[in-house]
Amino acid sequence: MTEPKFNELIHAPTRLSIVSLLAATEWSDFKFIRDNLGMSDSALSKQLTTLEEAGYVEIRKGFVGKRPRTSVRLNRAGRAAFERHVAALQEIVARSGASVIPSR
Amino acid sequence: MGEDVRPDEAARALDEVRRGQARVIDATMIPSWFYGVVGASNVALAVGLDIGRPVAIATGAVLFGLGIVGSVGWVAVGAQRAQLRNELLGPLGILAIVALPALVVGVSVPVAFAAEAAGWGYPATAGTLIGFVLMVICGPVLNRLLRRIMLANRTGSRLGAP
Repeated sequence: MTEPKFNELIHAPTRLSIVSLLAATEWSDFKFIRDNLGMSDSALSKQLTTLEEAGYVEIRKGFVGKRPRTSVRLNRAGRAAFERHVAALQEIVARSGASVIPSR
Repeated sequence: MGEDVRPDEAARALDEVRRGQARVIDATMIPSWFYGVVGASNVALAVGLDIGRPVAIATGAVLFGLGIVGSVGWVAVGAQRAQLRNELLGPLGILAIVALPALVVGVSVPVAFAAEAAGWGYPATAGTLIGFVLMVICGPVLNRLLRRIMLANRTGSRLGAP
C-alpha cells in the first residue's frame, strides 16, 4: 500500500503532466514529451531541470547517428514520490466523499 | 502540505494524471494498419512461391521485403520516441501479444497443408490469406485489449480510485 504524501513540487500543473507522462514510460524522448504536452523547448527544459534538481528524473544526452538526442527517465525516487502524490490526491477526494471515475 | 487543496482540485489533478497517461499509451500503440500490411506482405510472398516462376518469386519477395521493412521500420522509429513501462502490460498483456502470432500460425499452416493435400494449386496462398484475414480482424482487437489492460494498470488506476 502506497503511503499518501502530497508533493508541492510535482503538483504544479505542468510538472504533474510531465511526471504523469514519464510515469507511464521507461524513458521518453525530449521531443516526444514536448510535442505530447504542447510545450516549448525552453519551458520543458526548465521544468525538467527542476525535476532533476529534486532528484526525480534522469536526463541523458546522446546521439543517434549524428543527431543529438535527449531522453528522460523518471527514477525510483521520482516514481515513488509521484505514486505517493497520486495516493494523497485520492485521499483528499475520498475524504470529501466524492468518487473519482477513471477517464478513458 | 496538501491540506489547502480542495477535493475538486484534487479530482481534476487525478483526471489530468489519467488522461496524460492515456495519451502516452495511445501515442505509442502499434497502429492497426500494421497487422494488415504484415499479413498482405506474407500473401505477396506466398503467391510468388506458389506460382513458382522466377519473376513471380522475385516480385513476391520484393513486395514482402518492402512491406515488412516499411511497417516494422515505421513502428521501430516510433518506438524511439518513448518506451512504455513493461509493468503496464502485465502477464495478461504479454499473453495476448503471444496469442496473436500463435493463432495466425496455428490456423494458417494447417490450412496450407490441407490445401496442398486437397491438390489445390496455391496452398501457401490459401494459408497466408487466412493469416491475413486473422491479422486484419484480430490485430485491432489485440490493440483494444492491450489499451484496456494498460489503462487499468496505469498509476492512478493501479493505486485504486476510492
